[in-house]
Amino acid sequence: MTVRTDALPTQEMTINMGPQHPSTHGVLRVILTTDGEVVTRAVPDVGYLHRGLEKIGERVTYAQFMPFTDRLDYLAAMNCNCAWAWAVEKLAKIEVPERAEYLRVIVCELNRISSHLIAFGSYTADMGAFTPFLYAIRERERVNDLFEMLCGNRLTYNYARVGGVSGDAPPGFLEKTKEFLDYFEPKLDEYNNLISYNKIFVHRLANVAVIPAEEAVAYGLTGPNLRGSGVPFDLRKDEPYSVYPKFDFKVCVGTGERGTPGDCFDRYMVRINEMRESVRIVRQAVARIPDGPVMAKVPRLFKPPAGEAYFRSECPRGETGIYLISDGSVNPFRLKIRTGSFVAMNIFEKVTRGLMIADIVAVIGSLDIILPEIDR
Amino acid sequence: MEALARSLMNAVPLLAGVPLWAVTLLLIVAAAVVILVFALTFEGVGSLVLRKVAGDIQARIGPNRVGPNGILQFLADGVKLVLKEDIIPANADRLLFKLAPYFVFVGSFAAFVVVPFGVGLIAADLNIGIYYVMAVTSLVVVGVLLAGWASNNKWALLGGMRAAAQIVSYEIPVGMALIPAVLVAGSLSLQDIVRSQGGLLGIFGWNLFHNPFSFFSFFLYFTAAQAETNQTPFDLPEAESELVSGYNVEYSGIRFGLFFLAEFGDMFIVAALATACFLGGWNVPFFHAATLPWIWGNLLSLGVFLAKAFTMVLIMMWVRWTLPRLRVDQLMRMAWKYLVPLTFINLLGVSLWLLVFKGKGIPAMIASLFG
Amino acid sequence: MGLKEYMNDIVEAVTTTAKGMRITARYGVDPKEEVTLQYPEERWEIPAGYRGFLNNDVKTCTACTMCVKVCPVDCISLESVRGADKKMVLASYDINIGRCMYCGLCVEVCPPKSLKHTSGYEMASVARGELILHFIAEDAAEIKARVARQVAEAAVKAEAAKAADLSSDLSSEAARAAKEEAAKGEPKK
Repeated sequence: MTVRTDALPTQEMTINMGPQHPSTHGVLRVILTTDGEVVTRAVPDVGYLHRGLEKIGERVTYAQFMPFTDRLDYLAAMNCNCAWAWAVEKLAKIEVPERAEYLRVIVCELNRISSHLIAFGSYTADMGAFTPFLYAIRERERVNDLFEMLCGNRLTYNYARVGGVSGDAPPGFLEKTKEFLDYFEPKLDEYNNLISYNKIFVHRLANVAVIPAEEAVAYGLTGPNLRGSGVPFDLRKDEPYSVYPKFDFKVCVGTGERGTPGDCFDRYMVRINEMRESVRIVRQAVARIPDGPVMAKVPRLFKPPAGEAYFRSECPRGETGIYLISDGSVNPFRLKIRTGSFVAMNIFEKVTRGLMIADIVAVIGSLDIILPEIDR
Repeated sequence: MEALARSLMNAVPLLAGVPLWAVTLLLIVAAAVVILVFALTFEGVGSLVLRKVAGDIQARIGPNRVGPNGILQFLADGVKLVLKEDIIPANADRLLFKLAPYFVFVGSFAAFVVVPFGVGLIAADLNIGIYYVMAVTSLVVVGVLLAGWASNNKWALLGGMRAAAQIVSYEIPVGMALIPAVLVAGSLSLQDIVRSQGGLLGIFGWNLFHNPFSFFSFFLYFTAAQAETNQTPFDLPEAESELVSGYNVEYSGIRFGLFFLAEFGDMFIVAALATACFLGGWNVPFFHAATLPWIWGNLLSLGVFLAKAFTMVLIMMWVRWTLPRLRVDQLMRMAWKYLVPLTFINLLGVSLWLLVFKGKGIPAMIASLFG
Repeated sequence: MGLKEYMNDIVEAVTTTAKGMRITARYGVDPKEEVTLQYPEERWEIPAGYRGFLNNDVKTCTACTMCVKVCPVDCISLESVRGADKKMVLASYDINIGRCMYCGLCVEVCPPKSLKHTSGYEMASVARGELILHFIAEDAAEIKARVARQVAEAAVKAEAAKAADLSSDLSSEAARAAKEEAAKGEPKK
């Protein structure tokens, strides 16, 4: 929506939004140029959380970098763990036992649920409804309980290993997972009734910051942000890895349900629907998980052959691509990580032109950025 | 007050020698203190209840550490607010910055004067009661705008501008939604309005059930009043997720406390006006409180009034923890495109109803059918 | 905007609000929905594989330094000297839990399984130095001196044995080597 601003001559005002601001999801700084409430320009300023993860990766061994991938996207640490493991396995051509792959898929999808829950919850909190946020956190705690049971940690899991996973599922884990899924699935309908289709909420999101499909592709958006624009691109389907081809699930896309395809509401709904699909995947995986070892034979002094590999996986915030060059030594020669949030930040300035200040918050939330991923 | 002072002097021989003005002044001060204490207590307890309600709704417990079950939390909060350092930003307009909280607090507190708590429990039964409430609560705008401007903070300024636009816009639907009650009672005095809803019809004497238009006008009033007093979902001037905290972002200590108290004071005023104008005020259902001895009648009616008002406050809290916030243009659209036309239609409807049916409500007509 | 849409807007706003408020009301009145854990009084059950503070059983530790090598954040520091019986003796074993990120890599590689995660997770301190866990109470220098003494004694014994048995050249060589090792084992900081 654009607002006519030429009717009344006014002076523009520059406001700093962040790096300390409740709705920038971390230490994002947005330099707003506003004309009253209307934002004429919003330039994101990233880099406050830069820790040099890629350089660290070149200084530590392949196994040692695993805990650092937890810090790549701390809301979806399992996905980043597994992405790293898959990338190194691709580089070293390691065959992973099937049970380990199933466990990875289970934890990845559970983590997708918990990550989307945070996206959903913090989004509603940004929109002024604080209650759904706490409901989302409550559900996420259950996922954390499951992960704690599996690997002993609640946030930075360090569960995957090059060649498998760090430990087999403890007795009762799969049952508890099923219990959680049964508990969680009806909650999604509750969220929809509580907030998703609330008139105020719909009005805040629909037709705001529309990203047309071509533009989304041109800007390199991935994950729910791309699918929200109606492009059915999901690496789990289009470039299948691990055991994903064995599962039956649907790629959720934005349809312009309450406004224009590609608006904030579509991106929001894609996440809600993806949680449902993740539940389906986990159900199938738990039902079919084979017995067997969870760790392949990997030498303790792990030296992959010289070469390079690029592996991309579908993380909750878009494609996480890991590019590795090995010179045959114990640590990577070069490591490059491509993250969904960083790419999503590129389109920010374009879509926020002419919006209201409150919409800026809506756009940040709908792109579901996370700062450690942007700054790495 | 003078009449009361005179009767008091007649009743108590000890006061016979004291000049009339002194007793009157004393009574005024006493009434002010009583109302201030009531307002502050309500605001304290209100903040605790708000947090408890939030806890219950959000599957939490809420404050439960200070005192048994956390009931002393508001005292702890109050002590904290008083003891906190009072910071005035270096580049703030010091005079206006200091002045703003008083405007806001006075605006909300002065409205308590005409709230009809009971049969005879009203500090000043002004014959322009509703008009007075509308006028003094407008003082809040000045305070909020001053706070936003004087803070010399861009977020605060945006909050202040939003508040000014919002409160001024929503005063129209609030006023228009209250007029049906005035029309039914034929008086601007809140006591008269409450009395007009008495009678043996019980809850059916309420303006809420008087006719379909007054029924809708209650909901319109409630919605518009929430917006006028910056309650969620219309808390745009504060909007902690957009404007950080809006107009009071630079305030700390007791100055912030005054804004905080005023917010709860406004909440009560809205609930009290809704109760007085639409829900029968202090009228006890199926019972004439005025026929009882003075003390019992007042106590009973006070209890009934507070019960109704607190229920309204609870509903406001419930709404607050359910709904997301509107955007500023949507808020304006809601005021001018929805609430203002609807309240005008309602006003027209009520006027026509009163003209056609000679001031009788539906329950009264049904009652007259059965003799 | 037609009248129908106008009315629709109002109806939709009211119904969706009512729907949401019904849900919040249910949570508000149902005490069973409260999920808060009253933390210091109530605690959750810690699962078996919990990664809490690290604990090293120094009696079984072989000072192999695998944990030191694998730690990505270098939070484990270890000093050892070669004892009289050719085994490594731990002089100090410190873990900086302010730096530890509880990744569990050290526990996985520990050959004698002496390093383990405990279920402890509560710790507060006002100084960073207090966050370093010392697993050996004795001073490192003292241990080294003691071990050096033992090694020297062993060497003297070996010398005596050599004197007793002229054909044991090799053992005296070994004793000298051990002595040198002990001399080298000064604290290196």
